[in-house]
Amino acid sequence: MTTLLAPSPASASTEGLEIATFYLEDALLGIPIEQVEEINHHVELTPVPHAPASVCGVINLRGHVVTVIDLRTVLGLAPGVITRGTCNVVVRWRGEQIGLLVDRVGDVVYAGRKEIEEPPANVAGTDGRFFRGVYKMEGSLLVILDVEQALSVDLSAE
Amino acid sequence: MDDRQIIDEFVVESREHLADIESQLLAIENAGVQADPELVNTVFRAVHSVKGAAGFLGFTTVGKLSHDLENVLNLVRNGQLIPDSAVTNVLLRSADQLRTMLDDVDRSNEVDVTDHLTALQAIVAGLLAEESPAAPTASASVASASTPAAFPAQVPTPMAESAPDPAPAPTPVREWVAAPPETPMAQTGPAEPPREEVSHVSSQAAPMQARAADSGQTAQAATVPSSGTTTESNIRVSVTVLDRLMNLAGELVLSRNQLMQTLGSTDLTAMGSVAARVNQVTSELQETIMQTRLQPIGTVFGKFPRVVRDLSATLGKQCELTIEGKEVELDKSIIEAIGDPLTHLIRNAVDHGVERPEDRLRAGKSATGSIALRAFHQAGKVNIQISDDGRGIDAVKLKEKAVGKGLLTPDQAQAMSDREALMLIFRPGFSMAEKVTGVSGRGVGMDVVKTNIERLGGTVTVETELGKGATIHVKLPLTLAIIPSLVVRCGDRRYAIPQPSIRELVRVKAGDAALQIERIKQAEVFRLRGVLLPLVRLADTLDLGVAADAVPSAVHVIVVESGQLRYGMVVDGLCDSEEIVVKPLGRHMKGCTCLAGATVLGDGNVALILDITGIASYAGLRVSEEDAAAEELAGDASAETQSLLLFSNHPEEHFGVPMEVVARLERVRTEQIDSVGGQQILQYRGGTLPLLSLEQCINCKPRPPASKEYVVVFTAAGREVGLIVPELLDIRSVSTQIDTLTFREPGVAGSLVYEQKTIRWVDIHELARKIHPDWYAPQAPPQTPEGSPPRILVAEDSDFFRKQLTAFLESDGYEILACEDGAVAWNALQEPGSHFDLVVTDIEMPNLDGLGLVRNIRKDSRLASIPVIAVTSLAGEDDVRRGREVGVTEYHVKLDREVLMAAVGRMIKASHKKPARSVT
Repeated sequence: MTTLLAPSPASASTEGLEIATFYLEDALLGIPIEQVEEINHHVELTPVPHAPASVCGVINLRGHVVTVIDLRTVLGLAPGVITRGTCNVVVRWRGEQIGLLVDRVGDVVYAGRKEIEEPPANVAGTDGRFFRGVYKMEGSLLVILDVEQALSVDLSAE
Repeated sequence: MDDRQIIDEFVVESREHLADIESQLLAIENAGVQADPELVNTVFRAVHSVKGAAGFLGFTTVGKLSHDLENVLNLVRNGQLIPDSAVTNVLLRSADQLRTMLDDVDRSNEVDVTDHLTALQAIVAGLLAEESPAAPTASASVASASTPAAFPAQVPTPMAESAPDPAPAPTPVREWVAAPPETPMAQTGPAEPPREEVSHVSSQAAPMQARAADSGQTAQAATVPSSGTTTESNIRVSVTVLDRLMNLAGELVLSRNQLMQTLGSTDLTAMGSVAARVNQVTSELQETIMQTRLQPIGTVFGKFPRVVRDLSATLGKQCELTIEGKEVELDKSIIEAIGDPLTHLIRNAVDHGVERPEDRLRAGKSATGSIALRAFHQAGKVNIQISDDGRGIDAVKLKEKAVGKGLLTPDQAQAMSDREALMLIFRPGFSMAEKVTGVSGRGVGMDVVKTNIERLGGTVTVETELGKGATIHVKLPLTLAIIPSLVVRCGDRRYAIPQPSIRELVRVKAGDAALQIERIKQAEVFRLRGVLLPLVRLADTLDLGVAADAVPSAVHVIVVESGQLRYGMVVDGLCDSEEIVVKPLGRHMKGCTCLAGATVLGDGNVALILDITGIASYAGLRVSEEDAAAEELAGDASAETQSLLLFSNHPEEHFGVPMEVVARLERVRTEQIDSVGGQQILQYRGGTLPLLSLEQCINCKPRPPASKEYVVVFTAAGREVGLIVPELLDIRSVSTQIDTLTFREPGVAGSLVYEQKTIRWVDIHELARKIHPDWYAPQAPPQTPEGSPPRILVAEDSDFFRKQLTAFLESDGYEILACEDGAVAWNALQEPGSHFDLVVTDIEMPNLDGLGLVRNIRKDSRLASIPVIAVTSLAGEDDVRRGREVGVTEYHVKLDREVLMAAVGRMIKASHKKPARSVT
């Protein structure tokens, strides 16, 4: 009975993950789709003075003031420029909406859990501790981001 | 309506019934025999209603407790019992218990209330023992007659026997509701559900005991289990307000329809009128909705009589609390959050403020201390004052304590004004209590109070008079949700400043801001009707990195107030006055103390809301307040300070020159500066002014190109010279703790650290000498008639100035004896065989000050004729007069080297012309 209502961890591991993918420079990254609330082109940022380096500003998301994080800064990449492709991946984190600024979005990829491997310590020149795993795709490597880790890095007051 | 709703309704209603019970019981106790029967009735009815509903819903324990409570109240109502403080205590504790159970009503049946029941029954029984045997039937019959759905009169007796209370296992509510209301309650016999001992009952009893000892603290704990219920988030709105809302909503719909109609047409006037209507309806709607959130502050104040009563009893003090302004309304969210801080302040007033009765009598006060709690509206804010007529707060003791705890260095404590010292009580880890009592002095306290109040957008300040009492002022905004704000521009961004913190707006025309020194002062201090206000440049504070407009047509200064601190904020422009909805900033921005939140403006853009208090502390204005105090002190000059003009050449490098050597400041366009033969000159007032730039003279980074520069004009070798300064920072009084080694080079006298920046002290004369040695024609070294160099005694306590003076004088060929204070100098003068042609002395010195030294010299017949130059960093007329009186020959400013050297030369010559020196 229980397995029907709520998949147990054992059965879930045999299933897969739907992953929303996006690019930072040439690196393909992804976030499990259930963590993504929306993706938009809302990049009219209001910078916040004295905010941590990873915060590139706030936006008005239908009346809510949402923090936008520059994923490049978090991952230690060189800061990028906002282009037409720049997107805002809005995720929910600790009850708060957070926008992640990415260079452009890719497809939604279905990855079997078994095929997701432990991340190497260092992926494409960035810090490995923000990654939950890697998924090998044809011709490329999809790195799955650990949103909790990535967003906790610059919490100054907590 | 389902069961849950009924239960919630019951809880809300019962809470309301019990809300005022504390103050009412206390009032009854105070009134004694003259207790208002109507008041007693009110309390009785309140408890009675709780009992009735509890019985109906099957909350048996609540029912039992309220029943026994009711019994006692009934005796009071009938005049059979005049509650003394012991009885009132029992009643209060029972009422507390009732409320605690209501907070978690679903588990209320598991709570052990035996203690309360026993105590209540003991009161009834005690009275019965005293009174005639007819009494029980009388009281019982009254109870049963007036309680249709309640316990029969016999109940008290069996229950008293059946302690520890056997609470029935929780029964599904539906059953109880479905059953005829009387059935479960009316029968105590075998029909009742099987009773079971509930094992965790005893664990519930423990906190209750603690509660009696320390009601305030457990009041917090008691709210914790209530988190399970949803009733806290309900709010009761009067039907009138609801009707108005409904009405307005209807209006809004009408306006929308009109708007849709006019959209098609091109009639602008029609559109205008619709817009006006929408505008009006929206504002009214907003106002009315705000009203639904407003609650009288009395709901918070209500518990304080009890707090004061219990606490004074525990501490053996006598206190009387007067409350004013219960009807003042505040936003629900603020009301909820203000309870704890206010409780703490009240407890402090009782514990630390009011003295013991014997001490009060000794101090000539009445034995009963009075504590006044007052709420009132003022300038769009709610003010709450808590004042006591106790011993007041001793600023000196506070300082001692702060030093003892290592929060302050003795020097800081010394320099601290009493008002600042009072603010020490808000420092973390600081307790006012002489000793830690159970009541307060646990180290957590005032700092938390302050943080909590500031989090609500409020401020807290203290006022005290030693021996007379203390008053704490709390200022709170009416609401947190929507605040009128001024939107300002800085760079290309807009920011909102909450209107309540704005005192006034000042526009200073560029012409008035002048090119002169006043303008510089304005850059940091702003003179507003004779009062100096510290000035904060928003662009700098927020590190916006915006270059200031080259030629601003005017300077916009917003005078804001935060607590007792007022300051001016310079912004680039004013945009609009808007009602803004405050939105919190995300977790990542927790560290941004300058910001209070964000808002969405009319055009959809986000504007950040400035935190006036945060900006003040970020900009270090508190520090500068202390500075101001220090400057005041410098009037009687106990600490030696020097007024420095601070500037930077390259943005990363800071310099200072003493104000005394600065003749004036000019603002010039870069193209006015000509470079002729490797020399920079300024076409100026029909002549030319030779200019120096720092990078040309000393080791420093070159100044960035700019369209305008400041020129500091000073006099060297009898001519005017200008120093090019790209950016003026400030004029500040700094201490003369100067490092004369690290950065020493010709032109740099030394360095000091000020506000975490290293500031190099520029010796302007040395600069001039270095660049234009030709101006300084070699002078024949001065000689005494005997052919030896004249001897000068220098007395100066500051290492820096002593070295400076010595160096100046020696370089001109004098022989110097430098002494570090007046006493050393006096000894040197008295040494047999010593001879000096001149004395140069500082005024402020330890051991023997300059005036004392001069007095001694003038009294001594051998020395009386020696000329004395007094040097000082500030020569006020008073100083000069006092100096003259004791016999100072001339007064000079320490750092004006040329004037000083001229005076020295003149005096040496004059003294030699005198026919004979009185050498014996």
